[in-house]
Amino acid sequence: MTRKKVKLAYITNDSARKATFKKRKKGMMKKVNELSTLCGIDACAIIYSPYDVQPEVWPSPLGVQRVLSQFKKMPEMEQSKKMVNQESFLRQRIAKASEQLKKQRKENREKEMTQVMFQCLTGKGMHNLTIMDLNDLGWIIDQHLKETDKRIESLTKGTQSQAISSSSTVAPSPPDEMLGAASHLERQPFDVNMDTMQRQQPWYMDLVNPQEHMGFGGDEIILPFVDNNHNGFWSNGFFP
Amino acid sequence: MVSKKPSIGRQKIAMRKIPKKNNLQVTFSKRRAGLFKKASELCTLCGVEIAIVVFSPAKKSYSFGHPNVESLIDHYMTKNLPPMVSNDTHKLIEAHRNANIQELNTQITQILDQLEVEKKNREALDKMKKANQNQCWWQAPIDGLGLLELHRLRVAMEELKKNIAAIQVNRILQESTNPSPFVYGGNGHFSHHGNIHGNIPNGVDVASVIPHVNNFGYGQRHY
Repeated sequence: MTRKKVKLAYITNDSARKATFKKRKKGMMKKVNELSTLCGIDACAIIYSPYDVQPEVWPSPLGVQRVLSQFKKMPEMEQSKKMVNQESFLRQRIAKASEQLKKQRKENREKEMTQVMFQCLTGKGMHNLTIMDLNDLGWIIDQHLKETDKRIESLTKGTQSQAISSSSTVAPSPPDEMLGAASHLERQPFDVNMDTMQRQQPWYMDLVNPQEHMGFGGDEIILPFVDNNHNGFWSNGFFP
Repeated sequence: MVSKKPSIGRQKIAMRKIPKKNNLQVTFSKRRAGLFKKASELCTLCGVEIAIVVFSPAKKSYSFGHPNVESLIDHYMTKNLPPMVSNDTHKLIEAHRNANIQELNTQITQILDQLEVEKKNREALDKMKKANQNQCWWQAPIDGLGLLELHRLRVAMEELKKNIAAIQVNRILQESTNPSPFVYGGNGHFSHHGNIHGNIPNGVDVASVIPHVNNFGYGQRHY
């Protein structure tokens, strides 16, 4: 096993070529053997080289005869179906690898643009983005909005039915789906939460209303669940 | 903190028939491809002629041959035939074929290298995503967000969308003052340069976003 990468071209140095041939031929025969044993299948290999008049074969001359006659018995079409030479084999590999490359690039681009989107939400400038970047960014935002909407819808359906059924029971705290990632914060009055989050990253301020002071003012507009009475944020029927 | 590996990597394997049928078939598929790859490399590196014939677990035949399977098998089976005398035409054909193969080898090597680059890229991006998810709540998976947060996120994203559209329009207007072969349609639609998603943004009404611009200057620049 070499540590240096070998260039895939005819080895012009005679002794190097012969040495490589010996090693690789041995390795290849071993691989045929393993394939045959592990999978319990018939196989044969024939090598013609300038170093020997007789071809080198695996498993044995008799074994090769057996496999080849088995092969020849098949209809011509069946024989040619999965038959390749170097060129066709390489083309197949190229096609497959190209597909993988394309797919991986697309995945990476989506991931990259998603990161950009989140950065923009924190107020990072968008003016160094190319037109293509902006296009892809728009697409990513749309995708994310779709997911967000879907999740909102499923939560809304869930809590509506829950509100109906739990009106008689005492629910001391908001249903968990209302709290989500910031659940450890939301048990306090809303103001506190806003301050904590505002201190961290004021993206909301940048984008929605630059003048608007953070607090309930902004939320009154957007959130359907907010009670304008600051104390009773959760008093909309989710718990008595 | 356990990191997920894409696969379990190389494992030592016992040299006998694989018991599970599914594993056996997968192994055959992979190892057959690997075997043909080794054969192809051997042919290129050492200029030898090789023929391989294998039968799949489903009794289908797969064969590899350089220069080609049939002539090699025929040559082998009729052993008395002396090696073919190569004349100039044969040499020319062979040279041509080898040049072709050289080209293909270069191509596949290139693509595989690029694939490696993209894989490293992916790892870096995943790492960054993980780090950011812990810092900013809005980057956490959507399923983990509360209703309140979702609505906030939604509003922010709608705003961002508008801002982007404004910038896009701005760019067009900039381009229209510096004539360049930039093609666009009438009222805010513009063609994309073949980006990955083929996204054409919804028509932006220029007048509503940038109120002071009238459509005349804009509309004149039709290419």
